[in-house]
Amino acid sequence: MRVEYINPFVEAAFNVLKEVLVNSDVRRGELYLKSASTPVLGVAAIVGLAGDVEGRVLFDMNRDTALAVASVMNGEQLATLDDLAKATITELANMITAQAVTKLHDLGFQFDLTPPAIFTGDNMEVSDQDVEALIVPMETPQGKIEINVAIRERA
Amino acid sequence: MNTTTELTRNEDVQNAKKERLDKIDYKMVTFSLAGKDYGIDIMRVKEIAKAGKFTYVPNAAPFVRGVYNLRGDIISIIDMRILFHLPAERKVENALEDLIILRVEERIFGVVVDSIDKVVGVASEAIQPPHPIFTDINVKYISGVVENASRLYIILDVERIFAQKQEEKKEIVHEAESSTPIQAPPPQESGEDDRGDVNIGFIRETLFTFRRFSVSPINKGWFERRYQEWKKLKKDGDLQLKDFEDADEYLSGFYSPYTGAFWSSEYAAAVTGAMPNEAAKNYNVWNPGCGKGFETYSIACALRKKYPESRIKIWANDSDLLNISNAPNMTFEIDDVPEDFREFLVKGKSGYSFSQVIRDMVMFEYHDVLNANPMPDVDLVVCRDLLSFLAPTEQSRVLGDIGEKLKENGFLMVGGNEEIPVSEEWEQLRADPVVLFRKKA
Repeated sequence: MRVEYINPFVEAAFNVLKEVLVNSDVRRGELYLKSASTPVLGVAAIVGLAGDVEGRVLFDMNRDTALAVASVMNGEQLATLDDLAKATITELANMITAQAVTKLHDLGFQFDLTPPAIFTGDNMEVSDQDVEALIVPMETPQGKIEINVAIRERA
Repeated sequence: MNTTTELTRNEDVQNAKKERLDKIDYKMVTFSLAGKDYGIDIMRVKEIAKAGKFTYVPNAAPFVRGVYNLRGDIISIIDMRILFHLPAERKVENALEDLIILRVEERIFGVVVDSIDKVVGVASEAIQPPHPIFTDINVKYISGVVENASRLYIILDVERIFAQKQEEKKEIVHEAESSTPIQAPPPQESGEDDRGDVNIGFIRETLFTFRRFSVSPINKGWFERRYQEWKKLKKDGDLQLKDFEDADEYLSGFYSPYTGAFWSSEYAAAVTGAMPNEAAKNYNVWNPGCGKGFETYSIACALRKKYPESRIKIWANDSDLLNISNAPNMTFEIDDVPEDFREFLVKGKSGYSFSQVIRDMVMFEYHDVLNANPMPDVDLVVCRDLLSFLAPTEQSRVLGDIGEKLKENGFLMVGGNEEIPVSEEWEQLRADPVVLFRKKA
């Protein structure tokens, strides 16, 4: 993945999480690369990217984390991962990706977003052949959120 | 008179020797592996057993046969023959195997051998240090050799074999997996020389452990030349590499000229000089392992001058995030840049950097060559000192990828001490000091 794309995503993830989780202790783990198939922790929000590039950003977390994050964002304790909780996680994905894309736009890269979608379930796996993904692990008091960015230049 | 004293002295010596042999103070359990006799110190052996139906453990190293329930204790079962790359006779599924149960550092292991023989007692003084030509097993795992009843037993140092650190274990795993096409040298081809000179094998192993440098046909020529040099350098001293510093010293001469710096004008001219004067409208370059980006910018400048008309695009990648993250915005002192490239510089706030013309040509990517390589077909691949630092299987895979991505008559540049084995696909070009290959049409 192009070096210039990395920082905008890392910064956006950090800023947005810090903001929505109300100044809690958000930390970034070590970045690394992963190839092809990615097991999903239980809840995955996905945003597609198009424009100069093609790719997608996947926000991966387990159910407990998703529920805890959604609870904080809504300011009330949610009991189940219902429509409201799912919509909240989707919105989180949208916020982070949009902020990253805005930063990239300032650097001169043109990206478009697709509306986010959310997947929940057990033993899910995402496979996209021929793309390696950058993993940005974010540690929050609510649990771990893995941001999985796979972007390829349009040949 | 003289002769009688000599005779008696001889007799004395013989008697003394006999006495020494009679004093049995070392007992070992003996067994056979691939037709040879081996022994293990009886103090390390908990018991011997016959067992089968080991429970398979997924993802374990190839020499781990599985785990076994020994009267309530779960122990791991190691196949000694696979560990040492000896031919193992195939037994019928679930047949009973001869097992030696060992106790090493509070841990209990089961070791599968061909057949257990008996307990043999010898005098510990009669045990001689190992000699490399006795055995197929790496000398560092042997504590000695002893003769008894006209049979020669090789005594294995089980502490060494099983109490090793995780790192060393990986090394063995690597050895066990290394029977892939590009890893031609070890046993068969050069077996003769290596057997006589066992140090070369150690150096090969330790270079991989410390610096992930793997000896293969790509760098075998250099490795063997360096070994002769190394022997002279160290005289009779210790040839082996004990730490990172030793490994770095051994590899010191390996790296290509201008690693981590801009290419000199002469070097760049040698590269472009070997290439045709005309190029396609779109000229693509792949530069895996570009590090901090000095190499990539050198290529960019040299090609810009050589092919002013072409639209040149360079895909530069490295799996070291720290190194590559500064590459797109690199700044430097003007004196570091060879004169030929200075026309492409612009002065900024924090020093000189390359002009937009050059920067637009280059795309730096955080990318691991072992993953899918998605760039379009390329005219030139510059891949210096990268292949040598991949495991042998990975080397053949990446070389295959390069061959696939490269257009016909495209060029491949490898490190100053590397070469691509001659084949149907590659032909070498004379371009000293640059090592260039052309993909045959």
